[in-house]
Amino acid sequence: MFKRDAALALSYDWEFWSTWLGLVIQVLSFYFISRLIAPSPKYGFGGQAAGYFQFVAINLAFVRFQSTAVVCFQTAIRDDQLAGTMEAIMATPTSLPIIVLSRGLWAFTLTLMQVVVFLLMAVALGLNLTHVNLLSAATFTLLTIACMSPVGVMAAASIMIFKRGAASSFIMGGMTQLFGGVYFPVSTLPHVLQYVSWLMPITHALNGIRGAVHGATVVQLAPDAVWLAIAAIVLLPISLWSFSRAVERAKIDGSLGLY
Amino acid sequence: MATGAAQAWRISENGAIRASPAAVAVRNVTKSFPVTLSIAAWVRYRGAVPRRTVLHDVSFEVKHGELFGLLGPNGAGKTTLLKTLATLCIPETGQVVISGIDAAKQPMAVKEKIALCSSEERSFYFRLTARENLRFFGSLAGLFGGALEARISDVASLVDLSSALDRRYDTFSSGMRQRLAFARALLGDPDIIFFDEPTRAVDPLHARTLRTFIREELTSRRHKTVILATNSLEEAWGICDTVAIVHNGRIVAKGAPHVLDMEFTRCLRYRITLESAPPSLIETLERVSGVRRITLQEALNGVDLSVELEPDGHAVNSLLAALTASGVMVLGLRSENPQPLDVFAGLTHDGTN
Repeated sequence: MFKRDAALALSYDWEFWSTWLGLVIQVLSFYFISRLIAPSPKYGFGGQAAGYFQFVAINLAFVRFQSTAVVCFQTAIRDDQLAGTMEAIMATPTSLPIIVLSRGLWAFTLTLMQVVVFLLMAVALGLNLTHVNLLSAATFTLLTIACMSPVGVMAAASIMIFKRGAASSFIMGGMTQLFGGVYFPVSTLPHVLQYVSWLMPITHALNGIRGAVHGATVVQLAPDAVWLAIAAIVLLPISLWSFSRAVERAKIDGSLGLY
Repeated sequence: MATGAAQAWRISENGAIRASPAAVAVRNVTKSFPVTLSIAAWVRYRGAVPRRTVLHDVSFEVKHGELFGLLGPNGAGKTTLLKTLATLCIPETGQVVISGIDAAKQPMAVKEKIALCSSEERSFYFRLTARENLRFFGSLAGLFGGALEARISDVASLVDLSSALDRRYDTFSSGMRQRLAFARALLGDPDIIFFDEPTRAVDPLHARTLRTFIREELTSRRHKTVILATNSLEEAWGICDTVAIVHNGRIVAKGAPHVLDMEFTRCLRYRITLESAPPSLIETLERVSGVRRITLQEALNGVDLSVELEPDGHAVNSLLAALTASGVMVLGLRSENPQPLDVFAGLTHDGTN
């Protein structure tokens, strides 16, 4: 799956290289925006003041993992429906969990490379990563992927039945922007809406990542880590079950090869 | 792989273990599809969207090593039947047993024994090379590393695509694409292969090559069990051991081609060579009981009459008597084999296709 997805991505070379250009534009845009905003403890960790760029750059880099998780699985299913390869894949003796989850291998690898490049550019523009706790950062990256992937698999299940599902990505993306603490701290929201933020995985993922950047250990970040772990353990089997039921429904309706 | 070596064993209802002679057993399979998949219809009908039945109580068995043809007009249900056998469709009722394994209960085990070769060109990744496509599907068939590369070389050689393996699929001709589909089907070395109209989009020469490959390489030499869906009479009659004629989702006839010819022929055909034919001969002969059609054409040594008679066998005597009474000299009489088209038309023509 990884080799196939990589080869396909590289075959569309204009799209592939233009996404890197988009990366550059994004980091530069927020760098110049941050120069208009004064440093504040709200942008730091543990009460320490930090610049807006220090806050938003980390968020923008790591929210990519959520975006990838929500989008890559349903995109993969949709691409196979459009390409006509869905039935050929489903006729093979490979289990459904492997068929669906392996679609994330290339996507997350590419996202990891993009995050690394993004952070390198941000460091060049002044992002301070000298206190990073690598173990915490890796832990929260993996937890984010594990927690958000089931959401993507459930989105893929809806694509299997309904063939189009842009709404789910739009809703998830919008909710993330508003409640996830990506562009502004969650503490800025009205108290009632902060409960909504608490319910969103991205809030805990970004809390953890920001803590890791400032040197916090996994133990210190345990509440967020435990939240993500429990969500992953609960959501993963539900998502795989929903995907298998969606495939079964498509086989009953004869829509497996339709788009 | 020796013939019969893949015989399956099954547990019957009384617990006895018996050999199952069938590679594929289809029992009372019925399959329908909703007439629409829209949410609005689902709401309107409160979940009970009307359905269109595509397969009606279909039953048949295919022996190990047999080349079994599913012949039918467009829309007969052949593709749906093959997809049901390949576990891509779930029937409402009935049972599919592949090498003794229930497809509903153990679909993964069934998939290890089968391969579906569709004529759908879109079932490959257009922007990948043939090799990359085969690597991908080979890995899904459980092959990796050196074993996968070796297998790719083998199947590519078998279908004469070795020199084109590193070309992108979108540069392939229709014939090459079909051969690549054959190669993909053979990657996992399945016992049973389903072909869905494999010669539909290829030229006649290529079609003959593919048919020969199926008959001689796959069935005769490698003892694969093959189910071939086709709407080509030439194909079904030419290479299949057994042909099941599918019409409106039902199997309306099944048997070896020559048996079907005898059982279902609509008429008898003869070619009678005459020394000469007076102008009124055709009119006279058309009045003979049992004569359906007569055509006359000039031949090197006289005149040839092509006649179609009722299949009851008596008409030919009446015709010969009429020729004698007309004073015409009969130089020769030859029976022409029943045409497959007669069988097919007789069983499937109801004005709907």
